Amino acid sequence: MERLWEKNRVAVILSAVVIVGMYVFWFMGKARAESMLTSAWGFAVPLILAALVGVVGERSGVVNIGIEGQMLISAFAAFFGAALTGSLIIGVLLGLGAGMLLGGFLAWTAVKLRTDQIIAGVVINIAATGITSFFYKQGQTLPGVFPRWEIPLLKDLPLVGKVFFANGPFALATILIVIVLNYLLFRTRWGLRTRAIGEYPQAADTAGIDVIRMRLVNVTLAGLLAGAAGAFLSMEASSTFERGITADRGFLALAIMIFGAWKPLQAAAAALFFGFAQAIASQLQADKVVDIPQQLINTLPYVLTLIVLAVAAGRVRAPAAEGVPFVKGQG
Amino acid sequence: MKAKRALALVPVLALALAGCGGSSGGGNAGGGGATDADCAKAEVLCVGLVTDTGKVDDKSFNQSAWEGVQAAVKELGGVSKYVETTDTKDYGNNIKQFTDKKYDAIVTVGFLMADATAAAAKGSPDVKFIGVDQAQPEKDAPANYTSLVFPEDQAGYAAGVLAAKLTKTGKLAQVLGLQIPPVEKFAKGFEAGAKSVKSDIQVTAVYHPAGTNAFTDPVWGGNEAKKALAQGADVVFGAGGKTGNGALAEVAKASGAGTSVFCIGVDTDQWNTVPEAQKCLVTSAMKNITLGVTDLVKQVKAGSIKGGYFNGTTGLADYHDLKGAVPADVQTAVADVVKGLADGSLKTGVTL
Amino acid sequence: MADTDVAKARTAPTGTPPKAGNPVWELMVRNQSIVVPIVALVLAFSIGAFLIRTQGVNPAYAYESLFRAALGTPEGLLRTFQKTTPLILTGLAVSVAFRVGLFNIGAQGQLLCGAMGAAWVGFTMKDLPGIILIPLATVVGVLLGAMWASIAALLKTSRGVHEVISTIMLNAIAIGIMDTLVNYPLQAPGDDIARTPEIGAGAKLPEFGVVPSGFILALILALVSAWVLKRTTTGFKFDTVGKNKHAAGYAGIGIAATTIYAMALSGGLAGLAGVVETLGVVHRYESTSNNGLGFDGVTIALLARANPMGTIPAAFLVGILRSGAAKLQFDTQIQPEIVDLLLAVTLLLVSIPIIAQVIFRKRAASQAALSSGWGA
Repeated sequence: MERLWEKNRVAVILSAVVIVGMYVFWFMGKARAESMLTSAWGFAVPLILAALVGVVGERSGVVNIGIEGQMLISAFAAFFGAALTGSLIIGVLLGLGAGMLLGGFLAWTAVKLRTDQIIAGVVINIAATGITSFFYKQGQTLPGVFPRWEIPLLKDLPLVGKVFFANGPFALATILIVIVLNYLLFRTRWGLRTRAIGEYPQAADTAGIDVIRMRLVNVTLAGLLAGAAGAFLSMEASSTFERGITADRGFLALAIMIFGAWKPLQAAAAALFFGFAQAIASQLQADKVVDIPQQLINTLPYVLTLIVLAVAAGRVRAPAAEGVPFVKGQG
Repeated sequence: MKAKRALALVPVLALALAGCGGSSGGGNAGGGGATDADCAKAEVLCVGLVTDTGKVDDKSFNQSAWEGVQAAVKELGGVSKYVETTDTKDYGNNIKQFTDKKYDAIVTVGFLMADATAAAAKGSPDVKFIGVDQAQPEKDAPANYTSLVFPEDQAGYAAGVLAAKLTKTGKLAQVLGLQIPPVEKFAKGFEAGAKSVKSDIQVTAVYHPAGTNAFTDPVWGGNEAKKALAQGADVVFGAGGKTGNGALAEVAKASGAGTSVFCIGVDTDQWNTVPEAQKCLVTSAMKNITLGVTDLVKQVKAGSIKGGYFNGTTGLADYHDLKGAVPADVQTAVADVVKGLADGSLKTGVTL
Repeated sequence: MADTDVAKARTAPTGTPPKAGNPVWELMVRNQSIVVPIVALVLAFSIGAFLIRTQGVNPAYAYESLFRAALGTPEGLLRTFQKTTPLILTGLAVSVAFRVGLFNIGAQGQLLCGAMGAAWVGFTMKDLPGIILIPLATVVGVLLGAMWASIAALLKTSRGVHEVISTIMLNAIAIGIMDTLVNYPLQAPGDDIARTPEIGAGAKLPEFGVVPSGFILALILALVSAWVLKRTTTGFKFDTVGKNKHAAGYAGIGIAATTIYAMALSGGLAGLAGVVETLGVVHRYESTSNNGLGFDGVTIALLARANPMGTIPAAFLVGILRSGAAKLQFDTQIQPEIVDLLLAVTLLLVSIPIIAQVIFRKRAASQAALSSGWGA
């Protein structure tokens, strides 16, 4: 128990806050508790997917500040792909593909060309804003809406059942992705190697791992997650693409990634906590229970995050080699 | 030589990118092939438009105003053109593009542009300025500056009355954009209208968390609408650009959309601008910017335009396919409210 | 310039470079950090020309109207300088933080604090003469910016909270606080726009012809920053802490103190950007006026490779593009977003080592990494 606390302080506090909060609302009414959690989860899904892009990249030693741009282009490609071809599937594939393409671009510039990684990310962000704004066209609609799938048995769980297990495909997949990625990263050979090239690339190289190749592959594939986040925004969470639809979620995701100490499960907990704080802020606004301007109430999630970090001593350590281009034989 | 090849790739990529379509909006010269070089001539009508930060195809007030300009120019002949603002500090410079070319009328959109427009009007007394949603300066208002304003609270009020008569649960929700006067007037009008029907009705309102994305965040809007529905609201008023549109589209996905759950749009008849919301969209609280701008541009041409405030009209959009969902007595009652508001016999009582 | 480490040339493509000893060539090799950006700019504008051509517009005409609007008239120049000024300052702010290995993504929040502080002094004490009012407003704004940044620094040194996460949070909190202030207690009476009253006449920064005084201030600060970072012990401490924490520890440099000091300096510079915007351009605090300036600082710092003097041309480039965009749209109907694309391509080409390798082959200088990730 003590070890659990030591290693996962942040996660434990976050879970405690969410659980206690949920029970408070449970007493105020079942529907209310459920709706708050639904709202929190809806807010958390794109943040989790985007944060995982960062987790995979940085665990491999590549900083990705271009997640915002990756999501934006993916949302664009997914929506217009679906609208113009009349097929949701093609839209999703295009969205995923666009995310991966930009992941590949980041990998190529940062890993192959050894450009400063932050610059590579910023280029993606600026270009994404420009491109999506430049080529935006209104008057398109999706050919349909995603089905809502219900997972048998799990969906009947009290409170959490309907929230997490009766949802659109991306929201459902997110749960699976978090669990699988956490397993991959900490329990498999791929995970060990990935963490190795992010921590001690020279040692990994000596051990026979092709650092460059692995970084290229990992960063490119992580783009799929950004693609999923983008497609979720324009096809599942809304049914439209608008300029700036990502609304800085890509940057918030960076914070979530660090908040979650570069671990998928913790990042998910952090995102859910953040979403929950957001839901409380909007509920306070809607219920008019406190006479505080909404502009101030809406800073609640950010203030709470800072407090949790300060209290739990968010001393987390980034992968040691991230941001540093790998050159064989140097170091 | 790898690097060289890669370098050569960059322009190719750019070309490919450029090839995949793209539009440039901008000007159109109607009638007689006049260009803005002819604007100095008295007989050629030239109308310029400066958007607020945002784009001319924003499905919202910038677009409505631009459509108004285009409608007028199409009818009267002449030249029209727009400049899109990217930084609020550029308002003056953007207006100047048109005064430099001796445009006859310049439409500036958005309440933030009031100062810049008034200043430009003083500097170019021969040009007519039409400011949408703008407050006139308290003193020394230039005679060539007309503010097109709307009683948004009246449209909101009528929508509120309709919502209150439609709800079964007694709970209404509003999903709003940035907390600024035009949005607040819609929201407070809506609440006042609803309460005039049932004083104990519950009306919630959430504004988007302050920031630059308040009007362009349909994801947030959808999430808030979902929460409101789960808490028992059965009519959602989405007022706040694309953020509100997100709320409408989310309600359209809910079970019972169009039969027991409804949504109400804002600004224009969103039946046309947000087709994904048609399933639940019972009406829209309209602010007839397009009509108002067209009207004023025509007055410029006729030489009859006056400075000061010009009141535009508001109202409710057609029920379209959901006409059947609105009982006949409700339709009559709402029509009476709209009429009463228009002739002044009914007041919303909304103050900011 | 930090990156003339010719000896550490990367595995550049082989070929026969022009004869050594050619003086022009030698000069170019020595000044790669100037040659490469120029080549990058030319390439970026060529790519932009393709894009403009696809819109059915003559690129030469488009560029001419952009540059003529930004540089060809007195008011155009003034506007360009006004746009350049805050970009230099936020660019410096982010650069200074980079030097100690901190990524200050919170320049936006610090800038808002500075802008509000200056506005508050400027309108509450508006009857004071300018000679007192301007320095007072500046000091208050700079201190507020520094204070806001220090929160992140203190959270980092005492609680280990990563500055990227804390500054992102502090940005959102600053926006919330400022919006509350301008919507309620500090809103100009009778105004329906969320903004403070106008500052007193004495608080407005003067302009010298087409040169705003804020611009001169920004130039001076860039020089001072360059000098401090390069020639003083403070600069040495910053670099040591930024590059090697262990070495800094052995050398007896207080890492916590240096971190807080650098972050406060960074925040002060960002705050000053807000001050200059308030006193020089907007003349009040208005919630939408400062959008994005802090984030632009990151772009500028990256373009300049965290070199203080480099922020001047970088900010000037962005200033020109932004200043001429409206005229470009007026003349050609090309959307102003073309400017973003030009900027992205320029940043990319300046940064990827390809250009240097193609031109200078084996003698291409290696670029020092700006930041090793998020640090620790």
